[in-house]
Amino acid sequence: MDSHRKDDMIDRKSIKEKGILEQYLLGELLDDEQAQVDKILREDKKLFQYYTEIEEGFEKLAFENAIDPPVSIKESVLNAIRPITSDKKEKMIYSDHSNKRFIYWSIAASLAILFMLSSGWLYDQWQSSKNKLQIVQNETLNLRNRIEILEKDLKETNAWYTKINHPNTLKLVLRGNEISPNSTAITYINHKTETVLLHSEGLQKLARNKTYQMWADVDGEMIDMGVIPAEQQMIAMKYIANAASINITIEPAGGSDHPTVERLISNVLL
Amino acid sequence: MQDDLELIKRLQNKDDSALSAIYDRYSGALYGVILRICKNEETAQDILQETFLKIWQKSHQYDPVKGKFFTWSYRIARNLTLNSLRIPTKLIQNEDISVYKDIEVNEPELDIVPLNGSLKTLDPHHQKALELIYFNGLTHREAHQEMDVPLGTFKSYVRQALKKLRETYQKQLVLLWILIERMI
Repeated sequence: MDSHRKDDMIDRKSIKEKGILEQYLLGELLDDEQAQVDKILREDKKLFQYYTEIEEGFEKLAFENAIDPPVSIKESVLNAIRPITSDKKEKMIYSDHSNKRFIYWSIAASLAILFMLSSGWLYDQWQSSKNKLQIVQNETLNLRNRIEILEKDLKETNAWYTKINHPNTLKLVLRGNEISPNSTAITYINHKTETVLLHSEGLQKLARNKTYQMWADVDGEMIDMGVIPAEQQMIAMKYIANAASINITIEPAGGSDHPTVERLISNVLL
Repeated sequence: MQDDLELIKRLQNKDDSALSAIYDRYSGALYGVILRICKNEETAQDILQETFLKIWQKSHQYDPVKGKFFTWSYRIARNLTLNSLRIPTKLIQNEDISVYKDIEVNEPELDIVPLNGSLKTLDPHHQKALELIYFNGLTHREAHQEMDVPLGTFKSYVRQALKKLRETYQKQLVLLWILIERMI
C-alpha cells in the first residue's frame, strides 16, 4: 500500500474527517478497507445514520441531474433478461414434459406388466380349460357309448320283456339235478310265435372246454336246440315243434350232435 | 428517497416486473451519471443496459444493511463505465481498422448537459469537487490533482459541499412544508 493510502488507514474516530465514507460510497476503497468500513458501519448506528445522509445527498444530486435514456434501452434490458426467464419456463415445461413422459412410461410399463400377467393367467386358464374340455369330450363320448349300449340293452331287454310278457308265453324253470344241484335256468316258450328264450344266468360256471347245450325231446329223440353261450344271460334258442320236454346237458366245447345223457343236468316237461 | 424493500426483494427473487419498476425509477439518474463520465451517448446507452443486466444478475448480492440501493447501483454503473473507458475496443488488431479506431477515439467529446439543481447553489470549488468525483468518475486522488489542491483540502471540499447540500435540502423541505401549510 502506498504512502497516501496510509493516510487513509481506517480509524473509527476520524473516519468522518478523513472523507473515508465518501470514498467508501464511491467504491474507491480497496476490498479490505471496504470490509473494515462495512464492519464499523454495522456496529456504529450513529455513523451509519451519517453515512445514509451522505448517500441521500449524492442520490439527490444524481436524481436532480437525471437524463432520460431512449425508451428502446428498457426494451433491450427486458428482452435480454426474458430469454433467461423463458429458458427457465422452457426448462420447467421440459421437466414438466419429462415428468409427464415418465408418468406415461410408467403407465405404459404397468399396463404392459398387467397385460403380461393377465396373458399368462389367461393362457394358463385356456390350457386348463382345454384339458377340461378334452376330459369332458372324452366323458361325453364315453357317455354316448354307454347310452348306445344302454339303448341297445334296453331295446334288447324290451324285446325280451315283450316276448316274455306275451300272453302265450310259457315260463318253465329248469332246476339242476344231482350233477349240478345249484343250477337254474328259465325258459320261455311261445308256441304261437314259435320262439324259445333262455335265461341262463342261474347255470353254474363250466370249465373252458365244456358248454351247456339244449335239447328238445320229440318222440324220444333228442333234437339240438342250440349251444348255450356262457357270456349271455338271455338267448333265443331254436324252436322245435311237438317237443315233449326240454333238456340241458353238459357237452364238450362247441356242442355235440347227440346229447351225452349221463351229463344231463336238468329237464322239464312241456 | 426511501428504498422500496419489497420491490428489491421481488427483484432478488428474479421478478422481471420488479426490474421494470426499478428501471423506471433509477435509469434516468444512472444514465445521467454514465453519460457524464463517458461522454458518448451510444456507449452510455450500452453501459446503461449492461448496468441493469448486472443489477438483475447480482441483485442477490445487495444487502440493505450496508447502504441504499441507489448507491449500490451507482457503483455498478460507475465501475462499468470506467472499465469501458480503460479498455477501448481491444479486440481489433487489423492495422487499417486501428486507423479507423483512432479516428473514432479522436471524435469530439459530447458537450454534456450541464449540471443543475442544488449543485448550482454551491460555491464553484465545491461544485467542481462533487462533479469530479461523482459525475466524472474520478477518484479522490485524481480529482485533487485535477483541482490542484492537496488531498486533505479536496476531501474537506467534498465534506463541506455535502454538508451545504444537506442544509439546502433542509431549507427546501422547510419551504415545501410552509407552502403545503399555506395551501391547506
